[in-house]
Amino acid sequence: MTSADSRRSRMLWLGGAALAVAVPLAVAGNRFAAFIVGIVFVHILWTAGMNLLYGYTGLVSMMTAGIAGIGAYVTTNLVMSHGWSFWLAMPVSAVGAAAVGVILGLPALRLRGFYFVLSSLVIQSAVTLVFVYFPQFTNGDTGITQIPHPRLWLPGEGAVELKGAAFEILLGLLAFAGVGIVHLIVRSRMGAFIMAIREDDLLAEELGIDVTRYKVLVFFIGSLLMGVGGAFYASYVGFISPRSFDVLVSLNIWLMVAFGGRGTILGPIIGCIILVPIPFVLQDLYMLKDIFYGLLIIVVTVAMPAGVYGTFLQRRRAREQAAVAALETSRRAAERIAAQ
Amino acid sequence: MAMDPNLLVGISMVTTGLVLGAIFALTAAGVTIVYGCIWLPNAASGQLFLLAPLVLWSFTIGFGIEPVLAALLVLAAGLPLAYLVERLLIRRFYDVPDRNISYFVITLGITQILSGIFSLTWGRWSDQYNVPPLAAGVTFIGPFPLPTNRILALGCALTLLAALFLALRYHRFGRALRAVFQNREAAALRGVDVRRVYLGSFLLGTSVIFAGGLLYSMAYSFDLSVAWSMGIAAFAIMIVGGPGSVLGALVVGMLFGFVQAVVSVFASPTVATLSYLLAMLLILLLRPSGLFAR
Repeated sequence: MTSADSRRSRMLWLGGAALAVAVPLAVAGNRFAAFIVGIVFVHILWTAGMNLLYGYTGLVSMMTAGIAGIGAYVTTNLVMSHGWSFWLAMPVSAVGAAAVGVILGLPALRLRGFYFVLSSLVIQSAVTLVFVYFPQFTNGDTGITQIPHPRLWLPGEGAVELKGAAFEILLGLLAFAGVGIVHLIVRSRMGAFIMAIREDDLLAEELGIDVTRYKVLVFFIGSLLMGVGGAFYASYVGFISPRSFDVLVSLNIWLMVAFGGRGTILGPIIGCIILVPIPFVLQDLYMLKDIFYGLLIIVVTVAMPAGVYGTFLQRRRAREQAAVAALETSRRAAERIAAQ
Repeated sequence: MAMDPNLLVGISMVTTGLVLGAIFALTAAGVTIVYGCIWLPNAASGQLFLLAPLVLWSFTIGFGIEPVLAALLVLAAGLPLAYLVERLLIRRFYDVPDRNISYFVITLGITQILSGIFSLTWGRWSDQYNVPPLAAGVTFIGPFPLPTNRILALGCALTLLAALFLALRYHRFGRALRAVFQNREAAALRGVDVRRVYLGSFLLGTSVIFAGGLLYSMAYSFDLSVAWSMGIAAFAIMIVGGPGSVLGALVVGMLFGFVQAVVSVFASPTVATLSYLLAMLLILLLRPSGLFAR
């Protein structure tokens, strides 16, 4: 990596952190817009986890929403029924969700391709049914309402409810941290290993990469991000039901990664920024969202497998190569002329 | 004549099991034929299963068309629809090695589109749908009264199953289909037009799913949640029976029908759905080729 590249990358990260703070402040006057921004941030965190699983390791997991739901329900129960502090309940339930994610991800060690996708979809459906059928923890289909916001202890002011722009800034920084963690992993040796697993896991095994270990690790980290996102989603929105974490939500998290550009850092963020606000903008016709998302799933699969950002990168690379080739041709031509 | 209530419950369990089993088997056969032939795991099978009776409901209740005619119209309208889907979305992947993942995702997209359409349209018109019966009245089998319509649905389902089974075994197209199941290249070398067989199997599979939905609506009233439970059941039957195995779909479909009938009496249908999911997961982990692997 050249120093110009690393300077650009540092600028991008600083810009990202600045945006995570600046955007919530900019829309703070408009609660509706601010809420959409907050939800986009939670989705960026979720898609960061999904990107690690699907984009970089090639595991098309369709149970991501279920894992997020486990984080959300456990946190909510610990806070509302057992009087735990959110700041204790959230990490505990996120680690719990990550552990469950590892266990439910075990089929991935045996099953390849379509069979793994199917098994994760089956697990997602079962998790949703469990949410519906243990109403003592989840209040069934009705869902849990009036989930309290977390409280903060400020010096001199005591316990203060976290709300307004401060909450959105926190979500923004979380999303930033989640994407940052995925970026660091991808840049490390582990990143090279998981991408080798994505390209061909049998070959990776032959080359001496401990495929089982890295798949388990990826499930743990990805599920941890999902669990944290779920815990914050519950307390931010104040309402959760089994529908908040069902099959379609998993499918849509997949769509945001695939539409933006799997296996790129910026792609899933772009996917979230474009797709998450749609149901809010549609207002009363929010059900149109399902039709629109469904059409996009088909369009992405059939026509744009690299996603918006991935396609942009491919085009730019092709342009650069063309420019280099053109330069080379003209240099040769000049040499020929000079030689004559 | 006083009848033992336990006996009545038992009889109703057996008939429900038969009717559900036959419909499950038929629908799963439609899914498994398409998977065996073109490697397309149809995640939208449940929504397609629901689409047919919803349209039938509109035709009969909304436009007052005769039930038999309306059912035939629905089946006829399904063919160009399936052809369009094959032409636009499915054909382009025929030579892609990992196409079953792409197909799975595409049909999940179709699932989301259809469920959005359903909740925007039929979901606003009614909660529960009752299609007018083809045959009214009650038939006594021995001392047991059964709705004639349900017996008719059972008869139709069993006839269709038998026809499907015989056609796959003896008809020219059925033999070509099974040849493609077993070995695409060898079949092509022996002069089978593989792409035509692909198209044919997709049209056949989709029509069979539509027929399953129509028969279900003859036997029972239904609501929009049927799509998810039926989709899960059809997939579970296909995986447990062995993807591509029509015999597996028949046997496991009948079995699951009885499971559903029994479980619905003692617990809720959701417990049945949960048990299908677990059965599917176990088979995936222990014996991915299914119980009736070809």
